[in-house]
Amino acid sequence: MDRREFLQLVSASPLLATETQASLPVYHVVTPFAPEPGAGMPGAYRGQVARVHAASCIDEKTDAVDREVVRRMLSSGMRALTGEKSERDAWARFIAPKDVVGIKVNSSGAPNMMSMPELVAGIVENVIGVGVPPENIWIYERMGDQMRMIHYDRFVPAKVNVWTAEHSRSSILGYEPRVYVDVDFFGEDDTRSCLVRLVSEKLTKIINVPNMKEHQAAGVTGCLKNISYGNFSNVARSHRLQKTNTYSFIGTLAAVEPVRSRTVLNIMDGLRGVWHAGPFSMDRRFRFYPKQIMFGSDPVAMDRLLIDVIEAKRRAEGAPSIFDRSPEHLQSAYSRDPMKNAFIREPGHVQYAAGLGLGEYDIARIKVEAIEL
Amino acid sequence: MIALVLAAMLPVLYSDAGPQTAPALRELGIRRVAVPASSLKKWQGVDGISAEAADPERAVKLITPSVNYRAYDATATQAPWINSNGWRYLRNPGARFFVEAPGPAAALAAAEANLFGGDTLVHTDSAGLKPLGEMLAFLRTLGEDKLPPLVNIGFVDDRTPVSGERLNMMIVRNLLVGPVAAPDPHLDLNVAVGDKSYPEAAWHNPDLLEHVVRGNLTDDKRLLRVFGTDVVIGRLTGDADHVRVHLLNYAGGRRSVQGVRIRVLGSWPHQTAAVAGVPDAQLMDCAVDAVATEFTIPELKTYAVIDLSR
Repeated sequence: MDRREFLQLVSASPLLATETQASLPVYHVVTPFAPEPGAGMPGAYRGQVARVHAASCIDEKTDAVDREVVRRMLSSGMRALTGEKSERDAWARFIAPKDVVGIKVNSSGAPNMMSMPELVAGIVENVIGVGVPPENIWIYERMGDQMRMIHYDRFVPAKVNVWTAEHSRSSILGYEPRVYVDVDFFGEDDTRSCLVRLVSEKLTKIINVPNMKEHQAAGVTGCLKNISYGNFSNVARSHRLQKTNTYSFIGTLAAVEPVRSRTVLNIMDGLRGVWHAGPFSMDRRFRFYPKQIMFGSDPVAMDRLLIDVIEAKRRAEGAPSIFDRSPEHLQSAYSRDPMKNAFIREPGHVQYAAGLGLGEYDIARIKVEAIEL
Repeated sequence: MIALVLAAMLPVLYSDAGPQTAPALRELGIRRVAVPASSLKKWQGVDGISAEAADPERAVKLITPSVNYRAYDATATQAPWINSNGWRYLRNPGARFFVEAPGPAAALAAAEANLFGGDTLVHTDSAGLKPLGEMLAFLRTLGEDKLPPLVNIGFVDDRTPVSGERLNMMIVRNLLVGPVAAPDPHLDLNVAVGDKSYPEAAWHNPDLLEHVVRGNLTDDKRLLRVFGTDVVIGRLTGDADHVRVHLLNYAGGRRSVQGVRIRVLGSWPHQTAAVAGVPDAQLMDCAVDAVATEFTIPELKTYAVIDLSR
């Protein structure tokens, strides 16, 4: 492809424009990649989610995962989403043998919370089952220090690649300088967030594997957060003091090509989750066990359901809603008090992403197929 | 844009030891020393090392260049604090400077002198002699930089301490600034202390002033941008046909920077890199268009000089 540059000013969703657009940062998206028509998010299953619950998938006392149960959850969920009878046909809706497949895991809470290796291994098995050679499968994440604690390599065939963009923290060498979002949030001098180089140079398809977590800044961290902040450099700059720009930055990053076109499937790991002080999981009190996996091509619909999961758990625990913006619930540092938070959370980022065309936010239009194993 | 001429010369080791140390200095590639006037006679005639008398008391005192990895007090930021002497160099053209720089900081101090074109005495300890010798050897390979400095901003300096900090904040945030006696219409922007078009608060807060100045200049007009690090300061020299990019990693000696992305305004299709401690350094991901030239330096240990030409 000739080097073409698409410069665009990303504007807010019309639905949300009235109150917030004036204060939104101005984003300059630079990429030589053009959208691939019909490919990627929100995909063929816009507004559809398959949710599989299995009480025996994880032991709440030991965190031991039953790999066989997870295999069955994967099989049921993928077949329910696609309507196919066989697993292979279900996966073949998304992946072809010639693809180079990235599995975007989440390791930001490691070693206490991450995309479970047993689930990732199950995904790898199915991708190989479609005919993709193991050497064309890349389990990847940004931070090497977090990934090294998980040891995905012990769960998958030897030729499957485990890769991180920042083998040493803050190195930019694992990022693509041609693909970036330029934005000045707080006067920081480095205004660029660049795409993970693996995505631009090697991968043809991405399977997104987030966790079910509350997030101190974004409200929730699900599909959209994992595929955006997890694929770009220099994103922590979007938070300062109590203010975070996750509201508009998450969707903006997720919509950048080729991320948008190459992210074909989202499998949300809800075997266990975090209901407060996420995305990390330093305090076991804030972990919970939804014991479910969600499947879809539409990250907005899945994150919309995630909001309900987190809100229900917080209500049960007596914690404020993630939509709460009360100053009295703010605290300047990490809080072990579920009544407090470091940031004004921005769960509206999910609806904002819907406005960018990434999926369906309206709960009345989201079709959930729930399966109990 | 304007060229501001500064004299450039190599920094020199200030030694209060006797000539018995000469063999060790020669071994480390140090060929020139400055010594107290009382010692000069003993040093004269030492084989392979030229000596000159110098008095640190008459020099402008510098701080040891370094990085402090903590958020500074004025605002909440994740960026580390850079201890730079840039403003002292720019404020005192033609002066002689003196810096105490133990250990690896000796190399940083020498490189910083070259970055800002200062005539500097570097005093170090025994651990600093080797890195200093290596940096001086590197600087000699660069040859004299006869190109004038390039800046976007002229700062009409009232020479008050607070204006020193105003200059400092612009320099450490990689705004290319130079002191001017009066506003220069050839520059992209002039900043005169007390200018009523600036918010009053900006004159009391150098951090805020830097933000306002940057906003008034706009990033698009900046001759130099540095991406991927908070600890590298860059300066430019150049003319219509050449630009030399100087880059100093203020964490050098302790931490290399793995990847620095540079954007220089202008179309410069030919690039040559010299990176201290990295023989045969190659640039990555070079991109040249009608507006700007970009490239990545894969590893910046301490100091790098990139020559760009048409």
